[in-house]
Amino acid sequence: MSFMKKRSWAIASVLLCTALGGALLAGCSGSDDKSGSSGKTTITVTYRDDGAGEKGSLYRWLTEIAADYPNKEVEIKPAPIQASEGDYFAKIALALKSKDTAPDIVTEDTFILNSDASAGYLEPLDERLKEWEDWTNGSFIEAMKKGVTASDGKVYGVPYNTDSRGLWYNKQIFKQVGLPEEWTPKNWEEVLDAARTVKEKAPDIVPIWMNMGKATGEATSMQTYEMLLYGAGERLYDDASGKWIIQSQGILDALGFVETVNKEKLGPPLSKVLNGQAGNTASREYLPQGKLAISLDGSWITGNFLDSGASPWPEYKDVLGFAPMPTSQGQAPGSITLAGGWALSIPSNAKHKDEAWEFIKYALNKENSQRLVTASGNITVRADVAKDPGYTKMPFNEIATEYLQNAEFRPAQDKYPEVSTQIQTMVESVATGTSPADAAHKYAQDVTRIVGENGVIQK
Amino acid sequence: MNAKQRKIIYRIMPYAILTLIGICFVLPLLWVMVASVDTNAMQTLKLPRAVTADNYIEVITSRENQRAFLIGLIMSLGQAVLVVILALLAAYPLSRYQMKYKKSFMLTILFMTSLPITAVMVPVYQLFLSLKLYDQIFGVILFYVASSMPYGIWMLKNFMDSVPLDLEEAAWVDGASVFTGIRKVVAPLMVPGICTVAIFTFSGSWGNFFVPYILLQNPENFPASLKLYQFFGQYGMIEYGNLAAFSIMYAIPSIVLYILSQRFMSKGFGLQGGTKG
Amino acid sequence: MSSMAAEGYSRKRNSYSWLYFMLPSIAIMLVFFIYPVFLTFFYSFTNLALTGESARELKFVGFDNYLHMFKDPTVKISIWNTLIFLFGSAVIGQQVLGFFIALLMKHKNKTFRRVIGTIVLAGWVTPEIVCALCLYSFFGDEGTLNSIITSLGIPAVTWLYTVPMLTIILANIWHGTAFSMLVFQAALDDVPSEVEEAAVVDGASRWQVLTRIIIPYIKETFTTNMMLVTLQTLGVFGLIYAMTGGGPGTSTTTLPIFMYNQAFVNYQLGYGTAISLLLLLIGIVLSLFYTRSLK
Repeated sequence: MSFMKKRSWAIASVLLCTALGGALLAGCSGSDDKSGSSGKTTITVTYRDDGAGEKGSLYRWLTEIAADYPNKEVEIKPAPIQASEGDYFAKIALALKSKDTAPDIVTEDTFILNSDASAGYLEPLDERLKEWEDWTNGSFIEAMKKGVTASDGKVYGVPYNTDSRGLWYNKQIFKQVGLPEEWTPKNWEEVLDAARTVKEKAPDIVPIWMNMGKATGEATSMQTYEMLLYGAGERLYDDASGKWIIQSQGILDALGFVETVNKEKLGPPLSKVLNGQAGNTASREYLPQGKLAISLDGSWITGNFLDSGASPWPEYKDVLGFAPMPTSQGQAPGSITLAGGWALSIPSNAKHKDEAWEFIKYALNKENSQRLVTASGNITVRADVAKDPGYTKMPFNEIATEYLQNAEFRPAQDKYPEVSTQIQTMVESVATGTSPADAAHKYAQDVTRIVGENGVIQK
Repeated sequence: MNAKQRKIIYRIMPYAILTLIGICFVLPLLWVMVASVDTNAMQTLKLPRAVTADNYIEVITSRENQRAFLIGLIMSLGQAVLVVILALLAAYPLSRYQMKYKKSFMLTILFMTSLPITAVMVPVYQLFLSLKLYDQIFGVILFYVASSMPYGIWMLKNFMDSVPLDLEEAAWVDGASVFTGIRKVVAPLMVPGICTVAIFTFSGSWGNFFVPYILLQNPENFPASLKLYQFFGQYGMIEYGNLAAFSIMYAIPSIVLYILSQRFMSKGFGLQGGTKG
Repeated sequence: MSSMAAEGYSRKRNSYSWLYFMLPSIAIMLVFFIYPVFLTFFYSFTNLALTGESARELKFVGFDNYLHMFKDPTVKISIWNTLIFLFGSAVIGQQVLGFFIALLMKHKNKTFRRVIGTIVLAGWVTPEIVCALCLYSFFGDEGTLNSIITSLGIPAVTWLYTVPMLTIILANIWHGTAFSMLVFQAALDDVPSEVEEAAVVDGASRWQVLTRIIIPYIKETFTTNMMLVTLQTLGVFGLIYAMTGGGPGTSTTTLPIFMYNQAFVNYQLGYGTAISLLLLLIGIVLSLFYTRSLK
C-alpha cells in the first residue's frame, strides 16, 4: 500500500535535505560574482597572499592605485590566493587552465613563467609591448627582460620587482673577531677564510649559513648551488646546444665549496639546515640574534627586519653588511648574482585582455612601480626608479641593484623545476657526507632520466 | 619469591605498565598546553612566566578565525549527517538481503577507502570546474560524503548484522513499512555504530586540509583546518603561543564529540565477522 | 543470517528493491569518487602535467610512467620507507600495542581504565596536523624529550634529523593506537569469561589462556583490524608532510609524500597518478594476504 510511497518519500526527503543544505551553504559561502553588476568591466588580479590579507603590501598597493585609476569604467578586483610560495604555483596552474577560474592579470614568478608560457596558459605580449614607450625607451633595465622571455623568444610578462643574492654579514661579529667591517671578498678562499676566523675566535657563532637541504627547495638551488656554479664559471644549461650540462669541473667546484663548509664545520648544524624552516631560522632568528656571521641569501631578507616584518630589528641597517658573492678564483666579472623576481602576466583564458593590458601599463609606470617596491622592500626593475632618491635612500637598495649588472637568470626551460629538485638532492647529499664526485655522478644520471639522453651534455 | 609475592606483582604490574604508557602518551600534549597559555612560548617546554589567556583571546576574537571555525563545523557536521543517512540506507540491503555479489562489493568498497585522496584530487578538481562546484563549500561537502561513504557503508553494514531480525519483523507485523522499521527499530539499536561512523567522518574531514585547499579558492571560504595548515606555513614555528592556542581550540570539537558519545563507543567497535561480507 | 529470516525478507521486497536503498549513495560515489578514480587510472597512462609543454595537450604515453617508475631509484626507497612505516607503526605499534593496552586494561579499576583510556584516546581525537605539531615540538632539538633526557644527564639527540623514521612511526602510533585499543576492548569483552575461568580451573597458565583461548577467539578481529589499520596507514600524508616533509633527504619519503612531490612540486600529474596506483596495489595485495591468512 503506502509502502512504495513511503519509500520514495524517504528518498525524496534525503535528496531535498541535501539540496536545501546546499543552497544554504552556497548562500553563506559568499558570492563569487566576477562580472560586477554596474555595467563596469571588472579586472581580477591574482597574486599570492602570504596570510597578511588586507595588510599585505600587494593588496594595499593594488587598492591604492586602483582608486586613482583614471578609467572609471574599469573596476580592479584583487583575487588573492592564500598559499605558501610552492603551493601558489600549483594553484595558479590549476586556475589558469580554465576560462572559469582564470583571472585577467596574474603575478608570475619568473621561475615558473616559462613553464606556464609553454603550457599555453599565458598571452604573449610582444605586440602590445612594441607600442609601449616605457618598454622601448630603456626605462626597464635591459637585463630584466631576460627573466620574462620564455624559451620561444616571446615575452610573457612585465616584471615589477627583482632580487639579487649576496653575502650578508654581521659587522659587529666581524669587528669582534678582527675582520674588516667593510668586507669585499675577492674569491671563495677569502670567504672561507673569514668563516674560519669566526670559527676560531668565536666558536659559539655559526660562521656561514647556506641553505643546503631538499626541504628548503628552490632556496637551496638558487641561493646556494647556482650562486656557486655560476661563480665557478659554469652554467646549468648550455644555450648554444640546448642541452643540460651534467658533468663539468664547475659542478665539482661548486660542490667542493659545500663540502668544505661542512667538513670544517663552518656551517650551521645539519639538523637546523636540513628542514623546511631553515631559511627563516637563519634570517629571522640567527642573524638578528647575533648567532650568525655570514649568510649567503637574497636581498629581500631585510623585509623581515622592518617594523611590519616577521622579526623587527631596527638596528639591521648598521649591523648588517651586504657583500657581493665573488667568483671562485676572482676571475671576471669578479662577482656574481642570480636574479629572480615577479612579473604581471595576462592569462590566455582571461576575459578582458585589452583592459588588463591598459591597467598593467598604468600599474607599472614609474610612479606606481616605485610605490610597490618601496612598500615591499624589493628591488626595482626600472632604471628610472633605481636612480630616484626616494628609492636609493632605502638601506641596501642601491647596492643590491648594483649587483644586478652581473645578474644571471635561471634557464627558461620547462624541465627546470624538475632539475632543480635533483640539484637539491645533490647538494643535500654532499652536505651529509657524500663525495662531490659521487653526488655529481648521481645528478648526471637523474637529470638524464628526466630530460633524456639527447638533452644532456658533458663538459 | 613465594606465591603471595608473585600474586601481588601480577596484580601491580599491569597498573605500572599502563601508567608508564599513559605518561608516554601524555608527554607530547604537555608542550601545546603550556605554550598555549604563554605569550612568550618557545619550542622548549618551560613554565610560563605568567599564565595568560591572551593567545586564546587573540585566536577567538579574530573574525577570520571565527568564520573558519564555523565553516569547518558546517562542512564536517553536514558531511557526517549525510554519510550516516545515506550509508544507513545502503547498508540495509547489504545486511538483510541475499545478494550475489555482496562480498566483492564489500571488498571493493574497502579498497576504495585506501586510495590516497591526494591521488584523485586533480580529476576531482576538473570535475568541480565543469559542474560549477569549484570554490563552493557545498561541493567540498559532497566530495567528503562520497569519499567517506565506503567506510560508512562498510562499518554500518557490520553493525547492522548484529541487530536481531525478530524486532524488525515484529514491527512489520504491526504494519510498519521497511523504512519505518529502519527508522524506529534498527537505527535506535545501532546508535553506537552510528556514533562511531559520525565521529569518524567528522574528525576525518575536520582534520583534512588538502581537499579544501584544492577545491576552494576564496580565503573567506577556508575552514579551520586550512587556516591552521597555513599558520604553519606562513609564520613557520615562530608564533608558538598562538599556534598552540589555535591547535587546542581546533582539537576541541573532536574531543567534545567524542566525550558526548563515549558511552556508545566501546561497544561499537566490535569487528567480529567483519570480513564475512 | 539465517535462511528463515531471509525468507521473511524476500516477502517484503521485489528483486530490485535493494536499488532504492543504495541508489543515493552509489550515485554520489559514482560521480564524486569512482569517476575520479577511473580518471586517475586513465591519467596514469598520459603525460598530464600541471604546467610546461606537456600541459598544452594531453598525450597517451602507454606504460611510460610505469617504466619510469622502475628506473627511478627514489621509488624503491619510497616503497621501502612505506613498508617500514607500515610495519613499525601499524603492525607493531597500533595493532600490538593497542591489543596489549586493551588486554592489560581488562578487569582493572574503572577509574584507572577511564584515565588511561582517555589519555590514549587524546592522541586519536586530535586532528592530524595538531598531532604533527605536538610531536614535532616533542622531538625538536630544544623539545620536551631532549629537556627530559638532558635533565637525566644524557646528551641531547637531534631526533628529527638522526632518526626521522622513528619519530614519524612514533607519531603515528601516538595518533592511531586508540583505534585498535577500542576495537580490541570490544572484542575482549565478547570473550565469554566462563571459558577463561574454566581454563584457569584446569590449570592453564596466563600465557596459555592468552594464546590458546583469547587470541583464537578474537582472531577475526585481528585480521580485520589489521586490514583497516594497514589501509589507513598506507595513506598517511599530512602527519609526515607536516613533521618532516619526507626528509631529511628521502629518509621519510613514503609513497604518498613522493606522489605529492611528483604531482604538485614537479607538476608531473601523470607520473604522480601512476605512483598512487602503485600504492593502491600494495594495499590490495596486503589485504588479500590478510584475508587469506585468516582461512
